[in-house]
Amino acid sequence: MTARSSTRDVPVYPGLRRLAAGIAAATTGDGAVFSPAACVALDDAETFPADICRRLDALGVPAFYVPDRLGGAWRGHDELIHLIRMLARRDLTVAIGHAKTFLGAVSVWLAGDPAQQRRLARRVLAGAPVAWGLTEPDHGSDLLATATRADPAPTGFRLTGCKFPVNSATRADLVCLLARTGADRDPRGLSLLLIDKGRLPDGTVRCLPRARTVGIRGADISGLELLGAPAGPETLVGPAGSGLETVLRALQLTRVAVTGLSLGAADHALRLTRDVVLRHRWRGRPLAEVPHVRRALGEQCARAFAAEAVGVFAGRLTHTTPDELPVVSALAKAFVPMAVDELIAGCADLLGPGPLPTGRVPAGAFAKLERDHRIVGIFDGSTVVNRAAVAHHFPVLAHGWRSAAGSHAAVRRAADLRAGLGPIGALPLTSRTGCSAVQSLPAAVAELDGPARDLGTALVAAADRLHHDLARAPSTVRGVSAEAFDLVERYEWCFAAAAAVHLWLANHTARREGPESAGGWWDDARWLRAVLTLTLSRLGCPVPAATATVFDELSTVLAGHGPPTLLADADADADADADTAGGER
Amino acid sequence: MTPGGTARVAELERLLSDLWEAGGPLPYTAVLAADERAELCAEGRRLLHRAGFTAEFVPAALGGRLARLDELVAAARTVCRRDPTLALGHGLGSFLAAATVWTSGTADQRRRVAALVLAGGTVATVCPDLAHGDDPYRGTVTAHPDGTGNLRVSGRADAVPDGGRADALVLLADVGRPADADGAGLAHLLVDTATLPPGGVTRPARPATAGLRGLALGGVRFRDCPVPGSALLGTPGGGADAAARAAQVTRACLAGTLPGALDTGLRTVLRFATRRRLYGQGMDALPAVRAALADAFADLLILDAVGTVTARALHVLPEQAGAPASAALYTVGRRLTAAMDRLSRVLGAHSYLRDGEYGIFQKVRRDAALAVSGYAAPTTCLRTVLRYLPGLADRTPAGTPPPVAGQVYRDGAAVPELSFDRLTTRAGRVDALAGALHHGRRAAAGADPELHRLATAFCAELAGLGRQGARLRPPDLGPHARPEALALAARYATVLAASACLNVWAHRPRDGFLGDPAWAVAALHRLAGAAGLPAGAAPGPAAAYRPALYRELTDRFAGRRTFDLADRPPAG
Repeated sequence: MTARSSTRDVPVYPGLRRLAAGIAAATTGDGAVFSPAACVALDDAETFPADICRRLDALGVPAFYVPDRLGGAWRGHDELIHLIRMLARRDLTVAIGHAKTFLGAVSVWLAGDPAQQRRLARRVLAGAPVAWGLTEPDHGSDLLATATRADPAPTGFRLTGCKFPVNSATRADLVCLLARTGADRDPRGLSLLLIDKGRLPDGTVRCLPRARTVGIRGADISGLELLGAPAGPETLVGPAGSGLETVLRALQLTRVAVTGLSLGAADHALRLTRDVVLRHRWRGRPLAEVPHVRRALGEQCARAFAAEAVGVFAGRLTHTTPDELPVVSALAKAFVPMAVDELIAGCADLLGPGPLPTGRVPAGAFAKLERDHRIVGIFDGSTVVNRAAVAHHFPVLAHGWRSAAGSHAAVRRAADLRAGLGPIGALPLTSRTGCSAVQSLPAAVAELDGPARDLGTALVAAADRLHHDLARAPSTVRGVSAEAFDLVERYEWCFAAAAAVHLWLANHTARREGPESAGGWWDDARWLRAVLTLTLSRLGCPVPAATATVFDELSTVLAGHGPPTLLADADADADADADTAGGER
Repeated sequence: MTPGGTARVAELERLLSDLWEAGGPLPYTAVLAADERAELCAEGRRLLHRAGFTAEFVPAALGGRLARLDELVAAARTVCRRDPTLALGHGLGSFLAAATVWTSGTADQRRRVAALVLAGGTVATVCPDLAHGDDPYRGTVTAHPDGTGNLRVSGRADAVPDGGRADALVLLADVGRPADADGAGLAHLLVDTATLPPGGVTRPARPATAGLRGLALGGVRFRDCPVPGSALLGTPGGGADAAARAAQVTRACLAGTLPGALDTGLRTVLRFATRRRLYGQGMDALPAVRAALADAFADLLILDAVGTVTARALHVLPEQAGAPASAALYTVGRRLTAAMDRLSRVLGAHSYLRDGEYGIFQKVRRDAALAVSGYAAPTTCLRTVLRYLPGLADRTPAGTPPPVAGQVYRDGAAVPELSFDRLTTRAGRVDALAGALHHGRRAAAGADPELHRLATAFCAELAGLGRQGARLRPPDLGPHARPEALALAARYATVLAASACLNVWAHRPRDGFLGDPAWAVAALHRLAGAAGLPAGAAPGPAAAYRPALYRELTDRFAGRRTFDLADRPPAG
């Protein structure tokens, strides 16, 4: 262990320490309920991890799905991301199966009346699972096509229709449903209703069989058929006709939160890969020292940093620039799962398709993680849906860049990982100021020095060209062009690089390690240079060949320090590292 | 393809029919059910067995129907379009093992294996990248003479289809002193599993793989097991060279076969997009959906050009096949996986469901991914290619490019008989497949300015690779090659793919769609983008040529024709 002279030992999320210890205890030891072997066995049997979820309830995890003003612990959105990440780095099925309660409940936190909020808070704190019933067969992401009806009835509403596939439709006690109360395809014709399945008369609701999915095989991805189910007026969430608007606001919060799923998957993938490349030899050399392995492993670390920078930063921008969340949330939800899919594919290339020959990790753990993670880019608004949302902001993004508009102070406050964050303000449906994080990139790059400054300058030039293209992209009413989707992907990378630069500037002084250990992530701006190098190559900018050796440096740090993170060592799970890589630390 | 070959593939199409045909002989439900049970699809197996399908993989001189590798590939791809696991588990899998027998076996060994395969038996070999990455010296078994004329075999071979329960096994073994870094003590064994004594062989269990589940890639462990001395295949010490020569055949054939999975992936997504309504209109009206489908079609044409041209090159240019075969499999593996990933975004949640009429997508995607990582690991292929790069400039002089072997680009042209003896791991004096770029560029000059611009960019890329290849030093040609060196090999593979597409276009002037520059421009533009060439950066050409590709694609979809170069009609 290296001597610690920095703030690495002070956790960024002290509020999660007790939970982390509880989860660690549930993960290790013989017969542990949340052990890696148990997770793989449940997946093989396609069984819901009910015991694990009960343990999480007992540990108090559901409190983080409830606002603190209602007696819960949801204060910082980035803290919620980190909680989801802590679950996901063990098992995505568990994380997806448990955290869906936040997705199911968040509309009520945004639009419900006070009494309804208090009732729901009590139920969630007591461990009741809540589902979010948006999707219907055959129209996927097209919410305006919602065909489930909530027709007026003497005692409120009468619900008919079909919701499928819905996460936890069968297991959930409560379901927050989107249903039609007005005319077809009328945006004001949809309403949200929070129904209690257990109180519906027999024969008015039927749970549909579980979908057989490629991954998260134990998850309850099923559906509901509503056969004239009665719903009282008190089930309405917000005014009638406000359902779509509430959903679009809620999705901004959930899209940022679920980046924690990808961050956890990235942690898990790199932990397993690190374990293999450190232990195995290939043609006379440790695998980790084979040149192409070293390079590729470092590139995956850079992807992990890019993803983490975006997830954590978006979680904090949720508080400081909520008026830009329509863009920020879409960027985060499109970018993070994509970057982590790439990371996992890169690790898979290094591991080969066989089971991990380590003996300490259950065979099939990596393949499971790979299958499981594919869902993250699909649900809660697919990559396509999110990219379309960004494309609709092209004019304001181009204008914001030209005028360097936006709240630089709010960006700076989000970037400082130690700064306290206030409550989340009102969420609009479109951003009128573009994306301050990207718009303040030139100013931030001017504060860099050394090689990172050169990379940052090249990035600003590339971003300038991109915004030139954005300004010229034709705005279409129906259907975003393929070229526009490509522009959005480039914009996502600019956002990732901007997040990295801001986070670096705000935290590097506190995080730089002492002179006795010049070999960490933060030394020589190592992780920042890697993210910028990766971004430049993704934007098609030529970078000097020697620049790529920063990935080799990351690989060396990975071997010595464990999986990459921007957070403090104290935020990493001691147990998660200990069970695979303890020998090298 | 000869008329006979075309007729055989048509018969196979008729036999297997349409995956979505209600009451058809091989419905998608049967393929998915077999995958769930991790078994080879019994219905498909029965159909193929009844048709004597395995004869496609036995040389005509030995009583089979294998005269041309492009025909073998067309047949195997036809099966792969229904079920990649079935393609590898019935016919092609035996061929991957038997190729070593066809290239290195004695007359008697060839006859025995031919008889076995013709009778519907199976020969298995290690799935190379699954078992040991690109390190053939790891995980091999040992075989030593016991003085009675027998060999005693010990050790373990991983990742053998069907857990090594095949009728015969082809395994690389250490037959001399312990294998050194050059593999000098290696040779192949042809083991007749029926004659093994009980207890001599065990089959350790192996966890299921994510794809190709029906192949049951288990291991085989030998414990001082006697096999007759006649099991030795090839010369002691010649194993590594034999494996490398056989790999030229098997990699080319895999590169030609696997694109069948993309045909099915694309067909499934088209089926979905044409039936689904989104935002008040048909999903197939969305411009980004059309672009994704047209791009996948362009990818499939690229993969087929690469696979088919390489298969024919083994007949026409056998001395030059070493680099192209590995480059082809690299290109096919990388682009196939990426194309399926992009298509999955159009399919959305349906790409994640294991049943229903679109459920076949996730199955072929998993199968293709495992076939690529198990049989075509990118760095394995690139390391082979790298060895040929130092002399590239001399083999592809721009001033006097080598003559073009037109038969490799034309469908139906006669090709010389396949000559396994002429395959070599030595680099030849010319590289006709890469050099053909210069001829293609001249053909494009008078036909299409955009195509000419792209062809010119690739000629410059080839020249640049020649210069950089000449600077490679010995450490880069071995297992510890720098990533920058491997990147050169990847760029060479892309140049070969561009040359294949350009010359298929140039050699088919009277072939309506293939003779039109549209597809060639789209293909070269995509390849240039992937190679990071400036010519591939502007989105203009892609946008301009997608409508023509999309039109052709939807015409073929409506007519149930194949999406590859052959544009085959459906059965009957």
